[in-house]
Amino acid sequence: MGGFLLASVVLRRAEVLGMSLTPSLNKLSWVGLLAVFAATGCSNNDSSFVYSERTTSLMPEAQDGIPGEADDAPGVLGVKQLLDDRFGNPQNLKAWLKLPVDFGGTQASVSEIVTENDQFKVKLAVEEGVALPEAPKALEFITGECVGETIAVSGWDAETGEAVLASAPTKQPAAGDLCALDGGGVMRSGRVLYMRHCSHCHGTAGDGHGPTAEYLNPRPRDYRHGVFKFTSTNDMSKVSRDDLARVLRYGIPGTYMPSFLLLTDAELHAIVEYVRFLSLRGEYERKLVNELAGDYSAKAAQSRVADGENRTEIVAELREFLAADLPDTATELGDELAEQWSVANTPEALIIPSVARVPDSPESRRRGRELYLSKTLNCADCHGVDGAGNGPQTIAFEKNPITNEMYNEPGLHDVWDNLNQPRNLQTGIYRGGRRPIDLFGRIHAGIKGSRMPSFKNTPHEEIWHIVNYVLSIPFESEPGATGVAAPVSAPVAAAVAP
Amino acid sequence: MATVSPAIGTHGHADDHSHGHHEQSFLSKYVFSTDHKVIGIQFLVTTMLMLMVGGALALAVRWQLAFPWGSMPIVGRLFGLFQNEGGQISPEFYTMLFTMHASVMIFLVIIPILAGAFGNFLIPLQIGADDMAFPILNMLSYWFMWPAMFCFAFSFVAGGATAGPGNGWTSYPLLSDLAQASPSSGNAQTWWLFGLTLVGVSSMMGSVNYMTTIINMRAPGMTLFRMPLTIWSMFITAILQSFALPVLTAAGFMLMFDRLSSLLPTDIHSVFFIPAGIVVNNAAPTVGGGQPLLWQHLFWFYSHPAVYIMLLPAMGMVSDMLACMCRKPVFGYKPMVYSMAAIAGLGFIVWGHHMFTSGMNPALGMTFMTSTMMIALPSAIKVFNWIGTIWDGNIKFNAVFLNCAAFVSLFVVGGLSGIFMAAVPVDIYFHDTYFIVAHFHYVLFGATLFGVFAAIQFWYPKMFGREMNDGVQKLHFALTFIGMNGTFFPMHLLGIAGMPRRYADPYLHGYLEHLLPMNQFMTISAIIMGFAQFLLLGNFAYSFFFGKKVGRNPWGANGLEWSAPSPPGHGNFDEPPVCYRGPYEYSSPEAEAMGQDFILQTSPPPAGFKKSSGHVH
Amino acid sequence: MKKFWALFFIFWPVVALYVCWIAPSRGWWFPSKPMSSLGHQIDGLFYLILFIVALTFIATQAVMGYALWRGATKKSTEKAMFSHGSHKLEIIWTIVPSFILVFISLTQLEVLANIRVISKFPDEARRAPIAEVMARQFEWRIRYPKPGTTLATEAQSGDLYYVNELHVPVSQPVMVNLRTQDVQHAFFSPKLRVKQDAVPGLIIPIWFEVEKAGEYELVCAELCGWGHYKMKARIVAGSEASVQKYMTDLEAAQNEDGVADAPAETEE
Repeated sequence: MGGFLLASVVLRRAEVLGMSLTPSLNKLSWVGLLAVFAATGCSNNDSSFVYSERTTSLMPEAQDGIPGEADDAPGVLGVKQLLDDRFGNPQNLKAWLKLPVDFGGTQASVSEIVTENDQFKVKLAVEEGVALPEAPKALEFITGECVGETIAVSGWDAETGEAVLASAPTKQPAAGDLCALDGGGVMRSGRVLYMRHCSHCHGTAGDGHGPTAEYLNPRPRDYRHGVFKFTSTNDMSKVSRDDLARVLRYGIPGTYMPSFLLLTDAELHAIVEYVRFLSLRGEYERKLVNELAGDYSAKAAQSRVADGENRTEIVAELREFLAADLPDTATELGDELAEQWSVANTPEALIIPSVARVPDSPESRRRGRELYLSKTLNCADCHGVDGAGNGPQTIAFEKNPITNEMYNEPGLHDVWDNLNQPRNLQTGIYRGGRRPIDLFGRIHAGIKGSRMPSFKNTPHEEIWHIVNYVLSIPFESEPGATGVAAPVSAPVAAAVAP
Repeated sequence: MATVSPAIGTHGHADDHSHGHHEQSFLSKYVFSTDHKVIGIQFLVTTMLMLMVGGALALAVRWQLAFPWGSMPIVGRLFGLFQNEGGQISPEFYTMLFTMHASVMIFLVIIPILAGAFGNFLIPLQIGADDMAFPILNMLSYWFMWPAMFCFAFSFVAGGATAGPGNGWTSYPLLSDLAQASPSSGNAQTWWLFGLTLVGVSSMMGSVNYMTTIINMRAPGMTLFRMPLTIWSMFITAILQSFALPVLTAAGFMLMFDRLSSLLPTDIHSVFFIPAGIVVNNAAPTVGGGQPLLWQHLFWFYSHPAVYIMLLPAMGMVSDMLACMCRKPVFGYKPMVYSMAAIAGLGFIVWGHHMFTSGMNPALGMTFMTSTMMIALPSAIKVFNWIGTIWDGNIKFNAVFLNCAAFVSLFVVGGLSGIFMAAVPVDIYFHDTYFIVAHFHYVLFGATLFGVFAAIQFWYPKMFGREMNDGVQKLHFALTFIGMNGTFFPMHLLGIAGMPRRYADPYLHGYLEHLLPMNQFMTISAIIMGFAQFLLLGNFAYSFFFGKKVGRNPWGANGLEWSAPSPPGHGNFDEPPVCYRGPYEYSSPEAEAMGQDFILQTSPPPAGFKKSSGHVH
Repeated sequence: MKKFWALFFIFWPVVALYVCWIAPSRGWWFPSKPMSSLGHQIDGLFYLILFIVALTFIATQAVMGYALWRGATKKSTEKAMFSHGSHKLEIIWTIVPSFILVFISLTQLEVLANIRVISKFPDEARRAPIAEVMARQFEWRIRYPKPGTTLATEAQSGDLYYVNELHVPVSQPVMVNLRTQDVQHAFFSPKLRVKQDAVPGLIIPIWFEVEKAGEYELVCAELCGWGHYKMKARIVAGSEASVQKYMTDLEAAQNEDGVADAPAETEE
C-alpha cells in the first residue's frame, strides 16, 4: 500500500515538474499496478484445523449435521460442529474447561456485583491456592447469562479482587457465575509459537501432515491419536507434561525433531499445553467418529442403500442417534479424556524401577545379552541377533489391525500406519533419550504406538541387565561380540574397564 | 588485423539476400530468425519478462523477512498451497524462493540480456558486419533458452508442491547431491540441473559466435583498437565464457551422475562429491569416497568468471554511452581495454575467495587473497577513467546518462565492499551474512542493471526506429535508484550485525530481533523498486507502437551502428562500411570541421585532415 | 533540472554516510564488542579497511559529484574538453591504489595465520579439544569426553552428550572438533567472531579464547536445508570451576536411573 501511495505522489510531482508523461502510458502503468494489487490483497488469511480423513469419509449429514425440519425432527449437530463447539478454530480457540489444559489466565467466580457512579464493578473469588493476577486486562464470562462476553478491565484491586469493567455487560451476571481473568493467554501464545516453530511439520491441526512432513523420515508425529512414543509413564498411561517438555528441550536424535533448548520455560509451557490441546482435540474427534463410522460412514451408507435401504430412513436414524445418543457419549468421552490426561501427570503413572540400576559390568552385559536372545523376551526377533534392527519380523508381511488388510510393504508398522523399523542398536542413537531410566522405560512400557511391546512383567533387575547390554552394543569390538554367560558360573576375576 | 570483412563481396550468404526477393515464411523470418537483430530483440524481450519473474520471487523473500510467518500475498494462496496454514509459507518453500530468485536472475536475465540481447544486436552493427559468423548457431542459442526456461519452470513442481529447487543457486553437495537431504533435492534439483545445462549450451553457442565474428568480420579500417569498448567487453566476456563454462557443465554432469541412483532404479552412480558413511534422513549410509569441496572448486571456477561475464559487457556499454552523453572521448581508452583484460584474466584465479571458510587448505586461502586484492585494481582504474570521461564534458542529462552515472556511483560501493571480503579474517565474519548480499546486489543491480536500463533506452531507437519517452525513463530511474539503495544499503549494516543469509526467520535469534524494523523498511523500498519496473516495461511496449519516430542517429553518436538505418534492414548497412577513426572522437577538431560535436567512424575525413592509416592515436 | 540531478548524485552518498554514522548508536552494528582474542584482531582489520574505504568512497563520490556539477552548470554552448586521457594520471591512480591494496594484504597475513594455521594455535588449545561439535540437520550435538579422558575421534563409552549448548572455560584458549553428521553446516558465533564450515567427511579444529564469562549465540552459516535458520544454540563460557561442575552434573544426569532421586526432571 505504501508503495502505491508513494508512487502516486511521485507521479503527481513528476507531472508538476513538467516531465512529459504520455497520458496513455500513465494509464497502462496504473492498470498494471492495480492488477497486481488486486491479486495480492483480497483473500482470507485464516488458518484452519483440517478434519481427519475418517471424519471426511462419514456421510455428509454425519459431518455437518442435519437442519431441523419439524418438531419431531429437530436440528442436530454433526461431528464437525461438535468439535468446533468444544475446540474452536485457530483464530478463535475455545477452552473446554474440564480438560486438563492450562488455557491461561485465572479462573474465578463472581461473588458480588456493584454498580456505583456509572461504574460496573465485579468482585471475584478464586479457589484456595490460586493467586489473583496483578494486572489483568480482560474478564471473560464462562457461565451464566453473560456467557461468552469478554470485557476489558479498566480498574483492578489485587487485594480485594475487585474489577472495574470498562463497560457493562449486555446481560446481567449473577453471583456464582464462573469467569476467567486474561483467559486464553497461554493458548494464544501457544498457538503463535506453534505456528512459528511446529506447524510446517506437524500441521496446523497437529495431524503430522504439514507442508514439510512428506519429505521427512520418520514422519512427524500425528497428535490426533493421543499417543506419544517416548514417555516416562507406564504403558497404560498417556504422555505427561514433563515428557513433552523433554522432547521439546532435547529433540529426538536421529530424526528431524530438533532441540528447542533455547526457548524460555514460559514458551515451552505454552507449546506443551497447545500440543496437548491439539492432541485432545484429535482424540476427541477420533472417538466421536468411531461411534459413527460403523453405520454412518459414506461407504457404509452406500452399501446399505445398495442393500435396499432408503437413504432418507438412514438419515432419520442418524438424526435420532445424533440427538439422543451421541451427546451423552460425547460427554463421557470428554470425562474419559480428562481423566486419562490428568492421571498421566501424577506420580502414579510414572515408571519407577524398584531397584537401582545394576552397575555396568561385563557380567551384567552378558546376562543382558542372554535375556536379549532368550525365547521369553525374544528381542532378537525384531532387533536382530547383533542388534542391527534386522530381525526376521522386519521382512514378514503383517496386517493392519484396524482395516484387516495386509500392508503393502513387509515389516512392522506403527499405529500411524508408517513403516516402523526396529531400532538399530549399534548406532548409539537413542531417540527417546540415552539415560538408563529412558531405556528402562522403553523396555518396561514399550514404545506406545509402535510395535515395541511392554515388558512390564519382566523383573526390574533383569531389565537393568538388558539396559547395560544395550548401552554397550555400540562399543562392542565387533557386532555380537558380547558372549552369553557360560553355563558354569565362575565369576570373572579381572575387572574390565566398562 | 584489419582484414576485408568476408561479409562484403563473395560470401554466399550475402549473395542470397542482396539480389532479389528471398521469400521467408513468418516462422523463419520472425520466430526462428537467423538475423542477429531479431535474435537480439527476442533475447531482450524474453529476459525483460524473466526480470519480472525474478523480481517477484525476490519480493516474496522480502515479504517473509518483513512479516515472518505472516500470510504471504499471492503465493500463500496459490493453488491452495498453504491453505491450512492461512497462507503462511513453509521453510522449504522459502529456500526455493531465494534459490530460484538467484537462478532466474543470473541464468535467465543478466547473462542472456548482456550477451544474448545486446551482444547479438550490437556486435555485427558496431564492427560493420552484416550478421554474425554463424547465424544458424545464433538462432539455436536463443531457442535453447526455451527448453531451459521450461526446465526451470518445471523444477518448481517436479519434486512436490512446496519442494522447488531450494539448495541455493550454488547448489552445494551434499545438500544437493543426496535426494534425501532436503525436499528440494529430489526431482526439483534434477530439473534445475537440466535447465542449467541448457542455459550453458545457449551461452556457449553465443560465445563461439561472438569471438569468431569479432576476430574475423570487422570492417576495413576497424582495427582492434578502434573497436568500441562495447565490442571489447563482449569479446573478452565471450572468452571468459568459453573457457569457464565447460567446467560448470562438467561439474553439473558429475552431480547428475552422483544423483543417478535416485533417478533410475539402479545402484549405478558415481560418488564424486559424496564421502562414505553419511546417513541423512535415515536413508541407507552413503557408499562414498568423494569430496564435497570438489564441487565448490569446480562451481566457483566458473561462477567467479561468471560474475565478470555479468559485469564487463555493461562496463563496455556504459563507456560508449558516457562518451556519447558527455560529448567527449573515453578517458584512457587503452587503459580501459587493458583493465578489462586484467579483470578477466585475474578473474580466473580468484575463485577461492568464495571458499575462505569452507575448510579448504588455509595456505590456498592466502594465494586467493592476493589475487583478489589485485583484481580490485583494474576496477578502480576503470572507475577513475569514467569519472575522467564525465569531467568537463558537455553533459546531456537524459535518462541514459543518469543510469550510467548511477552505474559508476553504485559500482564504487559494490567494489569497495568487496575489499572487506578480500581480507580473509574479515571475510570469516562476513561470509554468508547480508554483507555479501549487499555487495553483489550493488555490483549486479547497482552497476550492471542500471547499465542495462541505460542501454535499453540508448539502443532502442536503433532497434525499433522510435525513441522511448525520456521523462518516464527518468521517473523509472529515480524510483529504482531510491528503491534500490533503500533495499540494499542497509544490508551492509545487517551483515555487520551478523545476520546470516538464507534465513527464513532471523528474528528467532535474540541478537537479531531489533533488526525487524529495518527489514520492513527494506521490503517497502523493494516493493517501490519492483513496481517501478512496470514503468520501464510500459514505456518499452508503448514506445514500440506510439513512440516518436527517429532517424539514423538521434543521439549524435559515433559508432558504426548509427550509420545504418533505424532499424537496420537485412544486411544492416546501405553499403559496406569503412572505418576511418576510433569510436570516441566527440568534440574533436575533425568533428568541428564538420560543424558537429561528433563524427561517425564511417565518415571520411573532412577536407584538410589526413586519412588515418589505421594506427592508434 | 540538470542541477537537480547533479545534486541527486551528491546527496545520496551523504545520506549513505549519515546512515553509517548513526548506525552504531542505533544497534545496526556489531552485536557486541568482540568477545574473543581473535575477534579483536578481526575487528581491528575491519576498522582499518573501513577507514580506507570510507576515505576512498568520499573522495570518489565527491570528485564525481563535482564533475556532474560542473557539467550541470556548464553553458550548453561551451564544448566538451577533447582529451583522450592523461598518461600521468593513469600512472598515479594505478600506483597509489596498488600500494594501499598491498598494505592491506600484508597486514592481514598475520591475523590469518593466527586463526588458521595449526602450528600457531596456542599449545593449551592444541593439546586436547574440549568437545566435539557435531552439526546435524537442524541442531548442534555436543560430545564431551568422559571426565578425566581426552576426546577420541570415535564416541567412547563414557562420553557426555548434550545438544545446542556448549560449555567452555573462559579466558583460556579452547579447541573444538567440528564435524557434521549429514550435510554442510557452519559454526558461527557472531560475538566471538568465529566461523568455520563443517564439511561431511572432515574433522576441522577450531580454536578460540573467550574473554568474558557469559552466553554467546551460536548459529549456522551454511545453507543446510529448510531448518537452516532454526539451528539456535549457545556457547556458555564460565570459570574453570563452573565448567567442571557442569560436567559433573551432566554426568550424573546422563546416568539417571530414576530411583536415586525423587522423579524430578533434570538435564539429560
